[in-house]
Amino acid sequence: MNTWVRVILYLIAAPVVGCLLAGWDRRISARMQSRRGPPILQPLYDVQKLWQKQNIVVRRSQNFYIVFFLLLVVFTGALFFAGSDLLLVIFALTLAAIFFVLGAYNASSPYSFVGAERELIQMMAYEPMILLTAIGMYIATKSFSVDAIAGHPTLLVLMLPGIFLGFLYTLEIKFRKSPFDLSCSHHAHQELVRGITTEFSGRTLALIEIAHWYENVFLLGWVYLFFASSPLLGVAVSLLVFVFVILVDNVFARLKWQTAIRSAWVVAAVLGFGNILVLSLLSGKPATAALVAATKPVERVEVPIHGAPLAPNPAGVAPRRN
Amino acid sequence: MSSFSKSPWIIHYDASSCNGCDIEVLACLTPVFDVERLGVVNTGNPKHADIFLVTGAVNEQSHVVIRNIYNQMPEPKVVVAVGVCAATGGVFRECYNISGGVDSVIPVDVHVPGCAARPEAIIDGVVQALGVLEKKHADMVATAANIDQTIYLPAEAGDAPAVLALQKVAGQTEAELYGDESLPVLQQTLTELLGDMGRMLFIKAVVNSKLIGFARGEIRPDGICETAVVVHPYFRRHGIGRRLHEEIEQAFPDAHRFETFTGQRNEPGLRLLAKLGYREFKTEPFTPAIMWVHLQRERQ
Amino acid sequence: MLCLRSDRLRRILAVCVTLAIGVAALALATLPTPIDPAGISLNHPWLHKGTVLIEIGISLYIIFIGLRAKNPMIVALTLAQAGLMVWFELGPGAHVEVAQNLFVDKLSVIMALINGLVGGGICIYSLGYMREYHEEAHCDVPDRRPLFFALLFVFIGAMYGLIFANNLVWLFLFWEITTLCSFLLIGYTQTEEAKRNARRALVMNLAGGLAFALAIVFLHKNTGSIELQKLITSKSALALLPAALLCFAGITKSAQLPFSSWLLGAMVAPTPVSALLHSSTMVKAGVYLVLRMAPVITGTKVGLMVAVVGGITFVIGSLAAITTSEAKRVLAWSTIANLGLIVLCGGIGTYEAVWAGVLLIIFHAVAKCLLFLCVGVVDHKLHSRNIEDMSGLILRMPRVAVMLLIGMAGMFLAPFGMLISKWAVLKAVVDAAPWLSVFIVFGSSATLFFWVKWMGKLLEVVGPCERVKKELVAGEAVALYGLSAATFLTCLFFPLISSRFVEPYVVAVYGQSASLSEGNIIIMAIMMSLVMLFPLSFISYGRGVKVVDAYLGGANVNSSVRFLGSASAVEEVTMHNYYLRGLISEHWLSRWGVIGGVVLLTVMLVMACL
Repeated sequence: MNTWVRVILYLIAAPVVGCLLAGWDRRISARMQSRRGPPILQPLYDVQKLWQKQNIVVRRSQNFYIVFFLLLVVFTGALFFAGSDLLLVIFALTLAAIFFVLGAYNASSPYSFVGAERELIQMMAYEPMILLTAIGMYIATKSFSVDAIAGHPTLLVLMLPGIFLGFLYTLEIKFRKSPFDLSCSHHAHQELVRGITTEFSGRTLALIEIAHWYENVFLLGWVYLFFASSPLLGVAVSLLVFVFVILVDNVFARLKWQTAIRSAWVVAAVLGFGNILVLSLLSGKPATAALVAATKPVERVEVPIHGAPLAPNPAGVAPRRN
Repeated sequence: MSSFSKSPWIIHYDASSCNGCDIEVLACLTPVFDVERLGVVNTGNPKHADIFLVTGAVNEQSHVVIRNIYNQMPEPKVVVAVGVCAATGGVFRECYNISGGVDSVIPVDVHVPGCAARPEAIIDGVVQALGVLEKKHADMVATAANIDQTIYLPAEAGDAPAVLALQKVAGQTEAELYGDESLPVLQQTLTELLGDMGRMLFIKAVVNSKLIGFARGEIRPDGICETAVVVHPYFRRHGIGRRLHEEIEQAFPDAHRFETFTGQRNEPGLRLLAKLGYREFKTEPFTPAIMWVHLQRERQ
Repeated sequence: MLCLRSDRLRRILAVCVTLAIGVAALALATLPTPIDPAGISLNHPWLHKGTVLIEIGISLYIIFIGLRAKNPMIVALTLAQAGLMVWFELGPGAHVEVAQNLFVDKLSVIMALINGLVGGGICIYSLGYMREYHEEAHCDVPDRRPLFFALLFVFIGAMYGLIFANNLVWLFLFWEITTLCSFLLIGYTQTEEAKRNARRALVMNLAGGLAFALAIVFLHKNTGSIELQKLITSKSALALLPAALLCFAGITKSAQLPFSSWLLGAMVAPTPVSALLHSSTMVKAGVYLVLRMAPVITGTKVGLMVAVVGGITFVIGSLAAITTSEAKRVLAWSTIANLGLIVLCGGIGTYEAVWAGVLLIIFHAVAKCLLFLCVGVVDHKLHSRNIEDMSGLILRMPRVAVMLLIGMAGMFLAPFGMLISKWAVLKAVVDAAPWLSVFIVFGSSATLFFWVKWMGKLLEVVGPCERVKKELVAGEAVALYGLSAATFLTCLFFPLISSRFVEPYVVAVYGQSASLSEGNIIIMAIMMSLVMLFPLSFISYGRGVKVVDAYLGGANVNSSVRFLGSASAVEEVTMHNYYLRGLISEHWLSRWGVIGGVVLLTVMLVMACL
């Protein structure tokens, strides 16, 4: 499929899919608690209602941050589905999340402040694993480009089982689900009110909701990447992962933030980094000698320091990024 | 749109309840009643809520909280008083510290009977509240749409509560500019206002029978008319203030000069007055934070 | 400078000199490099004798300091290195033919630009700042401004010498001058603490100097040359030991782990000194040397150890920055961490890594300098460097707050320079040795935490904020606006900087270079324009919204910041950032960092000897 077609498809379809997923989330959760639950389109009704409510703020500047949060989340997803550089996608995602957090700081209410601090801690918790996931995919496929990773012939999850599990762990944080719903859970309204979104209302709250739809679709897209070589399996597993996340949400209580960050870092270090270590060992690069090995094949073109014209790069050692 | 009736978000506050009604409110969320199937979410946050569910009678401690929460909810909003205590004060009515039902502090839209109110009754109350919510939203939209059909009439004593309420709303936005609540419009009582209304001429601006602004004027023996104009913050920048100024001028054909005053930081107000031809002639400090700017203009 | 007592004369002179330095640096940048060195070989015998004499002079002065402070370490280290150098220059080194004493390539030009422009900015800033410093903020400190400005310019001058020197003996001379200048500047206030920290900085840098002297002796013994260029291009294993020693010297100077305490201690000096040490001169000299050594140590165990030292420093520096609330200390830890990243690049030493390392040097210098200078202004106006006291700065000192935000964004946010460089580093590391990436991923997530919470503190408003009158004096304003613009411009012209300066250098050394692909540049540009759009959104400031109080459980007392507490007492809202001190402690991190660093460096030197 053409890049632009994919991007446009994402821009249009992601909110629809995200909305349905959110609806299913509430429905499945209700069923797990032997309740009937709201209609599937409930998230849409919520957003529609919020759109018509009055917009109240504590500080007049606070809403702009949220607009940019949405813009950047959409941008992140678009980059991802356009098949661009995976690291760049992560950076865009981080930038988006930072706008969200700054908006909450700007609102200057104690509850949004606590929410913002906790959200930051969560970001610190998941960032290493997310980066390691990208690195693992790079080692497996020799490319950071989403296109190239999706086009890789083997099932990535077979090479990256540890990273896949670690990524699942961080998904719990990214989806803001128990046991990591510390920054803005509505189950915690006695102590947190609504955390990071406490002071946002009306349209701004609707924008946050829509941003989450986009974000969730993008994250499931990333899960798909692990199974990209067989698309049907990929879609099925993505949906299964979603159900799994909901199950975990309903089974676990909320963790303390200390436990959250410690466990997330341990998971990243053991599962993520361990996987990378094994992978680089298997690919014939012993970890300690990897550095030496990596630099040896690069034939040094001896150029006198002063003034000689550039020697053309020998084919095969052409810099990858040119 | 009917989305208001599909997604009622609730904030529940216990004013001084015996916890009987509170338990029943919680019961609504359990699998037996599962109020979430109607889209209800118990938000616990006024900024997100549409429906304010109050249980228990209002006492000295809770009336401030009720008012704060009510003020922090975005429009349109509905108040549901759950149980007899919230409706009238119930058995606590005669207590030394009880001021009565919730409507002694804020306007209540739906009363749910019972001691304690049964979950079915509470759910029924919420469903009725949805109707009110829809209507309020329709009113909001209609008022905004009919702003150009504002009518201007002399106000009467019966309008005094509405005038007082509007004065408070407008005064609050101005008080925020100074961080000072001592503005006269915030301090005035109903009796004082009624006195004013007997002495001065009040002209009201009304849309869909809702008061959105008023002007008052009083002519002094020396032919100078002192005026003041107040417009609801939600309906500013629609030419209502300008029109009220014109109405006052027509009402006092004998006045040769008009005087008014406002706070030094009320920049939109000062801009409007400058456009109307008012010129500053003196300033006087009112409190450390507030400086009155007095303006005047000759009749053209 | 030293004898100018008049403030006005000094100001005129300083501005002229700074302008001259800046223009010269820019002119140099436009010249095609490498500049033909024939005319600048400077091989007079008296020049040689002059360097020896100056070196002896410096050593005597330092020994005098050491004796006065009764610090045997200073005396011993100085005696050792001075003895070594004098022996070398009068004995075996006396007849070494040095073809070129100076040389200019693209890396020197980049360093010269940073030194000239950022350093110049600092000088102009300090004109305004130091006057406020003595006349308003710190009246108790003796006014020694003539000395201060003289040292500032000597420092910048020595830095120029350092980056253009090819003769290692000369390089060593300039190296020692920067050590001495930094000692004098750190001890500027002459308080007990300042003196103590200055001595610590001196000891650590002298240790580096000793390694440098040893490197020269071994290099001469092994290869018979004392030229930097010959060392870089020599592929023989004999060059490894001198290179390792030079890396050791670089690591001390750039405050990497076992030695990072001197940079933290240097925070007692007036802010322009911190800015100078951190952004354009002192520590950059260290990483400059490590990057120079990169081609020699790449692929060796020595290189690996250097990389690991850098990586560990990055992680520990970033984590330690979380735990402290003092603004300058946060900046200091962040500098140490970022230099760790550069050292990591140097240690890996592949063409990609060096490319990324040079970019880091450029972007770090600009953004970090801006941050330091902003903190200096805040310190003077609010009389506090505590981040907790900066809440509401966006209303109290809007211009400085916005510039601080720009600086911080420049330090860690996409699409600004530092993030592009970090991205490049990550790619380089993954290509060379994937397991080293573990340092980067953990370190950079910690970086994110401490920067964002500081940004949040600036934006959050609790209670009424009085706007500070006269935020900036003239000199400060020029430097700050200039640096803010530079943060944006370096980022905007990133492809140009990379292709005009960095890539030619890397190509000259390695025969190939990395660069950012066109598609990614376009994406970066889109992101940049998105971020630039942000200020525009303030056009619709407050339209269609209603302002109400913050939610305080409904117990607000007519305000967002006061509430009715227990027993009906009116209480104020206070908000404090998280410092995670229960989770990680600065003390613990430094201790293990130092132990780890010492072990690694020992292993490195042992490996180089074998």
